[in-house]
Amino acid sequence: MSPFIPVFVMLPLISFLLGLVIPAKKEKIIFWTSAVPVLMHLAFYVIFSIYWIMDGSPDLHCKGPILYKTKDSEFSIDFFYDKYSGIYLLVSAILTYLVLVFSRYYMHREKGYKRFFNNIMFFYTGLCVILFAGNLETLFIGWEIIGITSFFLIGFYRDRYLPVKNALKVVSLYRIADVLLLLGIWLCHHYFSRSISFFEINEQHRNGTALISDPAHAIIIPLIFVAIAMVKSAQFPFSFWLPRALEGPTTSSAIFYGSLSSHIGVFLLVRSFPLWDQEIWIRVLVILIGLVTSMVATLIARVQSSVKTQIAYSSIAQIGLMFIEVALGLHYLALFHFAGNAFLRTYQILVSPSVLNYLIHDQFFNYIPRQHEIDNSFWGRLKKAIYILSIREWNMDYFAYKWLWQPLKKAGGIFQFLSFRILTVLFIPVFLTGIILAYNQENIPHSVIGILPLFMISISLVLILKVFAFRGSAIQAWILTFLSQLFISLAIAFNEEFDFAQVYLYLSGILISAALGYFCLSWLKKQGEHIALNKFHGHSYEHPRLTLAFMLAILGLAGFPITPTFIGEDILLGHVHENQYLLTFLIALCLIMDGLVAFRIYSRIFLGPHEKGYHEVAYRSS
Amino acid sequence: MNQHPELIHFDEDHVIHELKHYLPSQTPLKDFIHHNSLHAFQDMDFYPAIFKASGIFGFQATFQLNEFRKLFKIKRIRPEIVEHVISRNKGSQAVSEWTDKMLHGKYDCEVDPKIGKLRSLWKECYRLDLDNLVQPLLFRILCSYLDQGIALWHFPHVDLGLLEAIRELERNGQTSFFKGKRARKLLMDGSCTISDLLRILVGDEQHYERYLFDQQFAHKGWSGIVSAIEDQPHTILYPKKISLKEMILLELILEIDALDGDLGTDWKPLSTCKEIRLLDLFETEPLTELQEVLSIWQDAFEWSYYDEVLSGLKIIRKMIREPEVAPHKSFQAIFCIDEREDSLRRHLEMVDPACETLGCPGFFGVEFYFHPANGKFYEKLCPAPVTPKYLIKEKEGDSDRKHELLYSKKTHSFLEGFAITLSLGFWAAIKLFLNIFRPTMSPAISNAFSHMNLDSELVIENTDPSHKENGLQVGFTVHEMADRVENLLRGIGLIQNFSELIYVVGHGSSSANNPHHGAHDCGACSGRPGSVNARVFSSMANHRGVRAILTARGLHIPDETRFVGGLHDTASDEIAFYDVKELSSLHQQKHEKNVLAFEDALNFNAKERSRRFASINTRQAIHKVREAIRRRSVSFFEPRPELGHGTNALCFVGNRHLTKDLFLDRRAFMNSYDYRSDPNGKYLLNVMRPLPPVCGGINLEYYFSRVDNYKMGAGTKLPHNVMGLIGVANSADGDLRPGLPLQMIEVHDPIRLLILVEHHPEVILRTIQSDPGLYDWFDKGWVHLVAIPPDTSEFFYFRKGSFENYQPKLDQVSTLEDIHDFLESAREMETNYIVHATQENLPVHIIKK
Repeated sequence: MSPFIPVFVMLPLISFLLGLVIPAKKEKIIFWTSAVPVLMHLAFYVIFSIYWIMDGSPDLHCKGPILYKTKDSEFSIDFFYDKYSGIYLLVSAILTYLVLVFSRYYMHREKGYKRFFNNIMFFYTGLCVILFAGNLETLFIGWEIIGITSFFLIGFYRDRYLPVKNALKVVSLYRIADVLLLLGIWLCHHYFSRSISFFEINEQHRNGTALISDPAHAIIIPLIFVAIAMVKSAQFPFSFWLPRALEGPTTSSAIFYGSLSSHIGVFLLVRSFPLWDQEIWIRVLVILIGLVTSMVATLIARVQSSVKTQIAYSSIAQIGLMFIEVALGLHYLALFHFAGNAFLRTYQILVSPSVLNYLIHDQFFNYIPRQHEIDNSFWGRLKKAIYILSIREWNMDYFAYKWLWQPLKKAGGIFQFLSFRILTVLFIPVFLTGIILAYNQENIPHSVIGILPLFMISISLVLILKVFAFRGSAIQAWILTFLSQLFISLAIAFNEEFDFAQVYLYLSGILISAALGYFCLSWLKKQGEHIALNKFHGHSYEHPRLTLAFMLAILGLAGFPITPTFIGEDILLGHVHENQYLLTFLIALCLIMDGLVAFRIYSRIFLGPHEKGYHEVAYRSS
Repeated sequence: MNQHPELIHFDEDHVIHELKHYLPSQTPLKDFIHHNSLHAFQDMDFYPAIFKASGIFGFQATFQLNEFRKLFKIKRIRPEIVEHVISRNKGSQAVSEWTDKMLHGKYDCEVDPKIGKLRSLWKECYRLDLDNLVQPLLFRILCSYLDQGIALWHFPHVDLGLLEAIRELERNGQTSFFKGKRARKLLMDGSCTISDLLRILVGDEQHYERYLFDQQFAHKGWSGIVSAIEDQPHTILYPKKISLKEMILLELILEIDALDGDLGTDWKPLSTCKEIRLLDLFETEPLTELQEVLSIWQDAFEWSYYDEVLSGLKIIRKMIREPEVAPHKSFQAIFCIDEREDSLRRHLEMVDPACETLGCPGFFGVEFYFHPANGKFYEKLCPAPVTPKYLIKEKEGDSDRKHELLYSKKTHSFLEGFAITLSLGFWAAIKLFLNIFRPTMSPAISNAFSHMNLDSELVIENTDPSHKENGLQVGFTVHEMADRVENLLRGIGLIQNFSELIYVVGHGSSSANNPHHGAHDCGACSGRPGSVNARVFSSMANHRGVRAILTARGLHIPDETRFVGGLHDTASDEIAFYDVKELSSLHQQKHEKNVLAFEDALNFNAKERSRRFASINTRQAIHKVREAIRRRSVSFFEPRPELGHGTNALCFVGNRHLTKDLFLDRRAFMNSYDYRSDPNGKYLLNVMRPLPPVCGGINLEYYFSRVDNYKMGAGTKLPHNVMGLIGVANSADGDLRPGLPLQMIEVHDPIRLLILVEHHPEVILRTIQSDPGLYDWFDKGWVHLVAIPPDTSEFFYFRKGSFENYQPKLDQVSTLEDIHDFLESAREMETNYIVHATQENLPVHIIKK
C-alpha cells in the first residue's frame, strides 16, 4: 500500500497547478478544479483506509525521489502514513471541501477569486505534504508552503494597509519557526549522522530504546520542536498573531486560522513525540505551556468584543489543552479534540456575521440590566487588573515588538551611517578576495581560515541588518540583500572543505532570483514610480504582473522550495559543525532576516494602499 | 471650521459641535436608516458640495474621468445628451470646445486630501507612526465599552461615562492601560481639558482645531458611532454613557502616552518641532476645469437614463387614454413605494389585469412604537425623523424562541468549551454540511416574518387616552384612527371605486449571515419590516367607528370592503396575510383566489430577480426558480440574498397609468397620487415631503457608496468582523466601516434621484416653495424634479428656481412582448467593473399587451 501514499500529495498538487492556468473570469471552472480533487482525495482516503485497517493499520513508509545526494548527505522526499496523518487528513479534507463549496458563491465577483482558490489549494497541498512527510526535510517543504500561503491569504486584500501589515507580522513569526525547523533538521543530521525518517523513529520508539541518549541533545532537539509548535499554534506568548491573521475573506479565516493551520503545532508535537517521550521535563514544560496558554487565552477571550477575535482566542485556549493532552500521551484524545475544535471554530467563524442579528434579538427579549459592579475589595481590584491586562492581550504584541523586532531594528539603525556606496565599495572587493581565497584555501594559514567563516557571516549580518532598517531605494536594498546571501555562502565555503558544487546549488536559485528582482525594480523605477522603502506604495494596482514576477524573486531569494537554493540551504547548513554555536546562531539569524527583508521589500513596494489618488483607495485605518 | 482667520481662539464646544456635524451619522447596525452620506454639505449646491468634501477627505466624488469616457464609448452615455448638457450649462457655442475637453482633455486626476496633513508631521519629526501606536488600543477600549453583548466579561461601570469608568479600572494598583506615569496622571487627575492636552501635543493654539479634525477623521467610523450614540442613546439596547468629548480626551492622553513611551521626555509639541503652514480645511474653492468636466459627465450620465424614461413616458402617453368609467376591480393592493415592489406590482397586474395596485410609504401613515410580546424594549415603526406618541402592544402569546446551541457563549469558556468541542464540535460539521447543501430557516437567520407572530393579537384601539405606558398612549382613539386612514387614502387618491378586498402589504427581508440586514428592510419603518403597520392600518380602516367618521367626512368606504394586512419578504419572495380568519366566508373565498394571483406574481418576481443571480438558472421551471430564491435567503454562504435598493433612480408621484406599461427594471419608487382629487395640491405637500429625505437619502447613500466604496462605503463584506454588535470592521484592529458594502452597490448606477410628479408645474412649484427644507433638496440639486402636467404631452424640468420645458430626445424605445423570453435573454454582468456592471441594467421598455 505504501506506494500509494504519494497520491495524497500529488492530487492536490496537480489540482493547484491546473488552477494556475485557468483564466480568472472562469469562476465555475476554477471552483470545480479545486472541489473535485478534494472530493477525490476524500474518496481515495476512504478506500485507502479500509484496506489499511484490514491490513492491521501498520505505519507505512514510502521512499520518494532523492533530490540530491553526496557521500555524507542526502536530500530525499519521503512519505509516511500512520493513524495520526489519517485522522488529520480526514478532518482537513472534509473541512476544505465544505469551505470550497461555501466559497463558491461567497467569493463570487470578488477581485482575486482565482487567487483565493489557488491559495487554498496550495495551502492544502502544503498541509498534505506535512501530514504525509516521511522525514524532516519533506516536512520542511510543507512548512514553507503553509507559511507563504498564509502570507497571501492574510494579505488577500493587498490594497489595504492593515492586512498587509498583519500578514508581515505573521510571516515574520513564521519565518522564525521555519529557521528553527531548519536548525532542528541540522541537529538531527549531526546527531543521527544521516537524515532519519519518521518511520525509523517510530520503529525505534516502539522497541523501547531511547532515541536520543545524549542528555544535551535530548533536551535541545525536543525544545526546538516545542518552540516551533508554540509559534505555529499561537501558544503563549505568541498568541497575538492568530486574531490578527483573520484579515482575509471569512471563509479562509475560518478554515485556516480557525482550524487547520492553527492546529498544525499539535500535529508536530504528536509527530515528534517519540523524541521527547522519555524526557519528563520536556513533558512538564509542554504541559505548562498548554496550561498557561489555556488560562491566558480564556481570559482574553472573555473580554473580546469582536466576534472573530473572540473565537480565535477560544480556539487557542483549546489548543493549549491539546498540548497538555499530547504531553500526557493521550494522542487519540488530542486528535479527537482537534477534530471537534476544528469543526466548531470553522463553523463559528463562517456564521460569525450572524451574531449581530442573533444576539441583538436575544438581547431584545432577555436583556437584564447589570446588577453588580466590581467593587474595590482585593478580589475586585485583582479582577480589574486582569480586565485591563486582558484588553491589552497581556501585552504579548508589545513584548514581541520590544524583544524581537525592535532590537533588530535598532541594530540595523546603527549601520545606517554606512551608505550604499560605502558598503559596495567596501564589501565587493572583500567578497572577490574572499572568492579567490576560497579557491586557494590551501595557501592560507589555518588560524586565519578558522576565523574567516565568522568574519564573513558578520559582514552578511551587517548588510542584512542595514537593509532591515533601511528606508531608501529598494534597488539598493535588493543588491545588499543579495550581497548578504553571497557572504553566507562564502562563510560556509571557508568552514569546511567540500564540493563547491553545493555552493553553486545554493547560489543558483539566488542568482536567478536576484537578477529577476533587480530587473523588476529597475523597470519600475524607469517608469518613474517611487521605490523608496519608507512607506507602502501599492504598485500592484498598476503592475499586477510585475508583482507576480517580483514575488517569485523574493521566494527564490528567501530559499523557498521553488529553486535549488532550498536544497542548498539544507545541505550547506550540514557543513556547519555542531559545536559552532556562534556560527550557527549567526547563520540562522541571517536566514531569518533574509526572509523578513525580502517580504518587507515586496510588501512596501507592491502592496498596501496605492499611493496614487486618482482612483478609490482605502483609508489606512480601515 | 473657523471662517475668520484672524480669530485663533480655540473654542472647545464649538469645535466638537463642528466635528459632530461632519462625522458619519450612521447609528448602530441593528437598525439601518439610509441617509445622505454628505448631509453635512447639503447647504451647498450638489457639485460644489461633493467636490469640496472630496478635496477635504480625499474620496472620489464621481466616477473617474476614464470611466466616463468608457461609458461614452459603449453608448451608455449618449452623444446627444452630452451636447444637450453642455449647451444647457455652457451655452450652445461652447459645445465643441467642451466636448473636446471631455473626451480628450488631459488632466491630473489625483485627489489629494487636505485632512491628515498636520498629524502626518509626527512621522516627519520623530519617525514614529502615532496611529499605529494609539488606534489599536483606543478601538479596543471603545469597542469593549460600547459592546452590546459579545464579550462575556463586560466593561465595568459604563453608567459612569467613559473616562470615569476607565479611572475606576485604573484604581486596581497593578495594571494600567497606559505605559507611562504622566499620561495616567493626566487621566486620573481629571481636570485637564482638551486645550490643556493640545498644548502639550500641538503647542500653537491656532492649529488645535485642525489637529482634532485630522485626528478624528483618521478613524471616522469610531468617532462617528460615538457621536451618534451620544446624540441618540436609544439606538442601542444596553445603555452606555459616552460622549465624543470624552473620546477625544482619551485619544489625546493615549497619544501623549505613546510619545512618552517611545521618546521618553525627549519630544516637543508639533508646532515647536516643525513650521506649520496655516490651512483652512473648509475653505471653499471654485471648481477646477476637471471638476466641471466631471460634473458635465455626471449630468450626461444621469440624463442619458432620464431621457430614456421620459421618451418612454411620452410614447405611452400618446398611446393610452384613461378610460372614462373605472372598470370593476377584482382587488386592490397598496404596497410600499419601495422600488423593489415595482416588479411585483407589474406582475400582479399582468396575472390579474382586473386588479389595481397602489403605492405609499410603507408605514402606511401610522406612526407608533411596537412592543412585541415578552420583548424588553420598544421598536419604532415609522420614518426616522418622526417621534411617535403611540404604542402598539402585542398580546402575550405562545412565542417560544428557539436557540442555536453553537452560538452559545459557553463555547468560549475554558472547561465548558472543552466539553462542547468534544461533543457539539462534531454537530457543527453536520450543521455546516446542512447549511451548505440544504439551507433552511433557523434562529440564527434574520427572519422578516418573525418580527410579529402571524396569529398574535395586537392592542390597537384606545378607549381611554390616559392609558399610557412610559409616556406613550397605548393604541389610537377612533378619531386618531380616522384621521390617519383618511390622510392616507386621500393622499394616494383612493377615494372611490373600492373593491371588496384591499390588501395593505408591507415589506421586510430575510437574510442569513448579513450584519447589514436592516438595510434591506423597510426604510419608512426605521429599517424594520412593515408587517405591524400594515396590520394596524388595515384594522383601523376596517373599524366601524372609523368608517362612520369617514363617511361623515365625505369618504365613504362600502361595508363589503375589507382591508387585509400582509407582508412581502423581498429576499425570499414569500408573502403572508394577517387576520384572514376574521374575514367572512365569502371574503375568504375571494381571498383564496387572490392568493393564487399573488403566488403567481411572486413566481414571476422571483424569476425577474433571478436574472442577476449567478447561482440561479433563470431558464429552469419557474417553481424551481422560486424555490432557489427562497433557499438563497436562508443561505449562509450567500453575500447577496437580495440586491436591496441597488439601481434605484426614479420616483413617480402620480397615477399608475403613467407607468403601468413601462418596464422600469425595479428602478422606480412609486407613490400613488391623483391630481384630480387634489387640484390645488392640498395633499401634495404631505405626499412629497418625505420623498427627498427617504428616497433621496437612500439614493445618495448608494451614490456615495458606489463612487467610492473604499472611503464612503463599507468595502467588500467578506472580511467583515462584527464589532460589539454595533458595527463592522475589517480585521481585529480596524476602524468601523459605515456605508454600504460592495455586494449591495455593484449593480447600482450612481445617478441622482429623479422625482416625477403628475401635476401642473405651478401647483408643484407652489407646493415645494411652501416648505424651505423640501425646496432646498431640489434647488441645490441633490434630487431632480420633473413635472408631468396632465392633459399635455410635455415635460418640465425644475432648474434654477423655475420649471423649463424638456423635449425627450428619443422617438422610440424598445418594446417587450414576452416577459419570459425577455428575462431569460438578459445577460448577467461579466465583472462588477462599472462598464460591465451597468450593462446588466436593462433599458426602459414598453410592455406590449
